[in-house]
Amino acid sequence: MSSRDGRAPALRIEDLRKTYRDGFVALDGVSLEIASGSFFGLLGPNGAGKTTLINSIVSLARPDSGTVQVFGHDAYEEFREARRMIGVSPQEINLDKFLTVQETLTFHAGYYGVGKKKARERAEELLERFELTEKRKARTSTLSGGMKRRVMFARSLMHDPDMLFLDEPTAGVDVELRYKLWDYLRELNRGGMTMLLTTHYLEEAEELCDEVALISNGRIAARDTSAGLKETFHARSIEEVYMKVMGHAG
Amino acid sequence: MLADKMFRTLLSREVLRFARVWTQTIIPPLLTSLLYVVVFGVALGSRIREIEGVPYLQFILPGIALMSLITGAYMNTSTSVFDAKRERYIDDVLISPMSNIQIALAYTLGGTLRGLIVGTGVFLVGMPFAGVTVDRPILLLLIGVTVSFTFSAIGTVVGVVSSRIDHVTFMTNVVIQPLAFLGGVFYSVDMLPAGLRTATLFNPIFHTVDAARFATLSVSDLNPYPALAVVALLAVLSFCGAWWSIARGPNLRH
Repeated sequence: MSSRDGRAPALRIEDLRKTYRDGFVALDGVSLEIASGSFFGLLGPNGAGKTTLINSIVSLARPDSGTVQVFGHDAYEEFREARRMIGVSPQEINLDKFLTVQETLTFHAGYYGVGKKKARERAEELLERFELTEKRKARTSTLSGGMKRRVMFARSLMHDPDMLFLDEPTAGVDVELRYKLWDYLRELNRGGMTMLLTTHYLEEAEELCDEVALISNGRIAARDTSAGLKETFHARSIEEVYMKVMGHAG
Repeated sequence: MLADKMFRTLLSREVLRFARVWTQTIIPPLLTSLLYVVVFGVALGSRIREIEGVPYLQFILPGIALMSLITGAYMNTSTSVFDAKRERYIDDVLISPMSNIQIALAYTLGGTLRGLIVGTGVFLVGMPFAGVTVDRPILLLLIGVTVSFTFSAIGTVVGVVSSRIDHVTFMTNVVIQPLAFLGGVFYSVDMLPAGLRTATLFNPIFHTVDAARFATLSVSDLNPYPALAVVALLAVLSFCGAWWSIARGPNLRH
């Protein structure tokens, strides 16, 4: 697969399989390649395997078999290099309740080996960008849901990742913040950052992504550009594609 | 590995956590231990007077300090890891480029430090009441570090494997506290009937208390050096457990 900047693919996944202890097959031989610099959407219903796929890449889930490479680095053998390149904004709010907003950012940077001075500067920049400067000294537990979501975005960007995983990033976010986030994500992507977005909002995927994959029952059921998918499935919208694919896959 | 920025950051987060809530983590164990000193040492001590030729308050002080150290070290890691796991902010650590051994060590050393602060504080507060001096301070420090590290590592394991907060407190109330009370803190094993004396030998906390008493007062029920070897072995084994739990523990990485 070609990439915009000639680098190795941002992500290369081969035959990834994961069955949970209760017998639920979350990933059933997923193979996927995402070009460096692309904005890639992963769509599917609850339980389709989207979060398990992301968790398997960042080692929060242990796949039964298969390989994952991040910009050419094996995600498990060369985990330090691979993980440094990835930023994750998870679906669930998971902020450290003992820390302030600013500490959340600087400690995260420290976990990735970023020096104190650079971390402080980067935190300033992101606090301003996400309109959190006034809340910098506030404990994360005192923030509203939307603010917590913004802190999580800022945190995922603190170590300057090459690829950002956005797992349902705008779930529960008001419309204004959603549009602001879209703009910022586009800006980051134009700057060369690879994006992997999972979302339930189909218009979000259509609006932002160069390419979309539909995942169902732990398998990639279809993959193309939005226009390509519409053409293939003789659909007028990505929503119609989704319904047709999930209907077939289910 | 210890100089690694990532490792130091997690360790400093652990220290910040217990330092920020010092009214819950440092002051209560100091007060509780002071009460032990007053009730058991000053009040009852006037009746017991001496054990093994040592004033009673001097006899119990090393054990009381060690009991606080053990509880402080264990509670720090068990609650810190459990909270981080329950609210999933441990994921931010698990997906970082840190290795599992670095994560386990940072959590364990954070708890070790809290245990040492509490244990040292109790000892220092009790010293004027007991009028005690330490015969072998380096040995006592070595025992304190090893014991604190051991129970901090056990706390890491419990924090990972527990699925409910009462699992964490169960260990404190049903395992650690009884073992500590029956570990010869307030009496010499020579005062026990033969059966209980033999049973006490299987209590690891007894060996640590006995060794701490030897380092402080040069009196002990057993030869302290084999006991120290056992404590060192326990430290290694418990840290291996902490390492395993971060790498493979249930409900951490699915």
